[in-house]
Amino acid sequence: MKKFLVKISFFTLLIVSLLIILDKVFSVYLSKSKYHSSGEFNVWNDIYAGNINAEILIYGSSRAFNQIKPQILEENLNRSCYNLGIEGHNFWVQYLRHLEYLKKNKPPKYIIVSFDLWAMDKRYDLYNYTQFIPYMLFNKNIYKYTSSYEGFKLPDYFIPFYRYIGKRGVINEAIRNIFIEDKRMNNYRIKGYNSSDKEWNDDLDNAKDSMRYYVSGTDTATLQLFQNFIKECKEKDITLIFVYVPEYIEGQKFTINRQDVIARYINFSEIYNIPFFDYSGDDMCLNKDYFYNASHLNKTGSEIFTQKFVNDLMAHPALKDLKKN
Amino acid sequence: MLFNSIDFAIFLPLVFFLYWFVFQKNLRWQNFLIVCASYIFYGWWDWRFLSLIVFSTLVDFVVGLLLKNQNNNTKRKLLLLTSICVNLGFLGFFKYYNFFLDNFVSAFSFLGVSIRAEGLKIILPVGISFYTFQTLSYSIDVYRRKFEPTNNFISFTAFVSFFPQLVAGPIERATNLLPQFYTPRAFDYTKAVDGMRQILWGLFKKIVIADNCARLANIIFNNTDEYAGIVLILGAVFFAFQIYGDFSGYSDIAIGTARLFGFELMQNFAFPYFSRDIAEFWRRWHISLSTWFRDYVYIPLGGSKGNKFTIIRNTFVIFIVSGFWHGANWTFVVWGFLNALYFMPLLLTKRNRKYIEVVACESKLPTLCEFLNILLTFALTLFAWIFFRAENLNHAFLYIEKIIFQSLSREALVDTYNLLYWESGFALIALLLFFLFFEWNGRRNKFAIAITGIKWKRFFRWAFYATIILIIFYYAGEQQEFIYFQF
Repeated sequence: MKKFLVKISFFTLLIVSLLIILDKVFSVYLSKSKYHSSGEFNVWNDIYAGNINAEILIYGSSRAFNQIKPQILEENLNRSCYNLGIEGHNFWVQYLRHLEYLKKNKPPKYIIVSFDLWAMDKRYDLYNYTQFIPYMLFNKNIYKYTSSYEGFKLPDYFIPFYRYIGKRGVINEAIRNIFIEDKRMNNYRIKGYNSSDKEWNDDLDNAKDSMRYYVSGTDTATLQLFQNFIKECKEKDITLIFVYVPEYIEGQKFTINRQDVIARYINFSEIYNIPFFDYSGDDMCLNKDYFYNASHLNKTGSEIFTQKFVNDLMAHPALKDLKKN
Repeated sequence: MLFNSIDFAIFLPLVFFLYWFVFQKNLRWQNFLIVCASYIFYGWWDWRFLSLIVFSTLVDFVVGLLLKNQNNNTKRKLLLLTSICVNLGFLGFFKYYNFFLDNFVSAFSFLGVSIRAEGLKIILPVGISFYTFQTLSYSIDVYRRKFEPTNNFISFTAFVSFFPQLVAGPIERATNLLPQFYTPRAFDYTKAVDGMRQILWGLFKKIVIADNCARLANIIFNNTDEYAGIVLILGAVFFAFQIYGDFSGYSDIAIGTARLFGFELMQNFAFPYFSRDIAEFWRRWHISLSTWFRDYVYIPLGGSKGNKFTIIRNTFVIFIVSGFWHGANWTFVVWGFLNALYFMPLLLTKRNRKYIEVVACESKLPTLCEFLNILLTFALTLFAWIFFRAENLNHAFLYIEKIIFQSLSREALVDTYNLLYWESGFALIALLLFFLFFEWNGRRNKFAIAITGIKWKRFFRWAFYATIILIIFYYAGEQQEFIYFQF
């Protein structure tokens, strides 16, 4: 028995050591992927490298990172800026990014929260879950804010290599990056921003064909988290700014309670005395040339919009200190 | 609890520790631990069905004791009948009730009599076909006075519910397994290491081979309309390896696990796809079930003694019943019928025991003749597997029709290439070749890697095991339940 136990323990130790090494190697090389996880690794890497330390941060979903160009804000406001928008996620996971950012970077002076109709909702699946894989081992924040989704199991967060088991696409990507420098989608997210040169796609036509209408839901926990976030920012002396970015007019009708949702954001801004820049009915919404689908501006649209937004920011009486001389 | 789950990865070492370090000095406590562990293992799926096992255990234990002191033949028969009725009653109700009801209604409507009958929403308890057969064999053996009934309830309960083989076999006989619960077990290093190797190979078969073949087999079988015949042939090949990897993999893990606790279970698979005729195939495929039917159905019916009609009848009975055991669907009946048909010429010409030894016993490779025989046997099996896998008979006939009439065309080849390319089929074929290489090399042993690397230096041997573990981890994503749980 003793011989068996010694050998099995030694062999297990070797396998566990091998898996810990592989975990580390795969995590490092997976995070170098520019292509995988829709470029979210670029942003996470910047966060964990701790070299963002921006004075202005932009929070939101893909409607944030596709539509607000930090470079334009930097040029006009003379402040460093970074777009932390995260594709497909509501405020629940946006807040996770906020926490992880503060772990490694200095707190910003301003946070621009870009709302969309689904910000206070919570999806059931952990969209684009592979983006968390390189960073999630023993990470309590990631565990806390992603474990309620259908995505990872408990051992994924705390047992080395467990989250790689059976994820062939992820392992292949990591191995690929060991041997080949990833040049796909180079510069996809610069300062977190992605300029989409995409042509107008058929999302809207499909929506029209299917005649599906949506009701934006509200997750109570997310709503509470958002209110706590507002208080946290006040305590940390971070100025919050809310913005609602334009949506193409024909796509607006598909969310039945759109006006109620926007009214709630207005209500927030009034209660907490936070400037709210509402472009939900802006003229840009009428021009299809600015969009690549009903809810996302294209490169031209996002640049025009960002300039317009900066001008409005600078003109706002409560934000006189925003522009640094 | 699935063998290929993290639950089992925690459960097994825990039970192992308690078994060898806490209760090692007391046989009764060791057996009691096995009972508790087995009930937890089974209850992990659905604790409600534990009552069935407990009831079945009680009935057969009492029947055994009563048979011991009973010399009146009529009363003995009645006692045996009680055991058979209880066990087959459970099986019949949970597995076949709706099937018989549907067919009853269909038969009457065919005769012009309309009957309205609602089927029941019955959940099939996992492994019911396995443990009912195991307990039945005990009662029958005691009735035949082939086996002395036990008065040790804990040992008997442990025998019925022994967790490694509880839900998918091997279906053990009381004559082999029960006495092992009476005698103290000493830890055997060689057995335990061998058991670990067998578990590893079983996991490889299940996770790498079966689950990945299942993915492609499911795509092809579920979309029969969309694919050309040549793709459908490939689908049948993938299913053949799925079912083999799945079931023999489970058996390997079961046997290996039992060895860790000092038990020897019977071999359930002996490289059946290297068989040179269908009779050899059936001596190598699901051995515990085949021998069960042989001993408790075929031989009592007269076996191969008697006139030709009796032999033919008995052969069809045993294969069709065996098919029906797999599930309440006519597809399984046809599968059994086909195998009987394949078997018949060999039996009638008395060539059914031509190949007893493993193929190419003394050489590395088979002769051309042996190779062609293996291919032909595999092709026959493949054809029968189509019925086994099909949703219903119409599906099976459509599948075969497409194979016959729509196999060879340029589009069919492009279809095949596209499917293999987009669904990682080429990698899977490479894996199958790797698997067959080891299976062929190990065909003289109880499992493929039983002696692989035994004489190598430790570094290389461990590197080999580590490689298998890494391949398992790499391919582990397509987790599917063991097919035989549904039987």
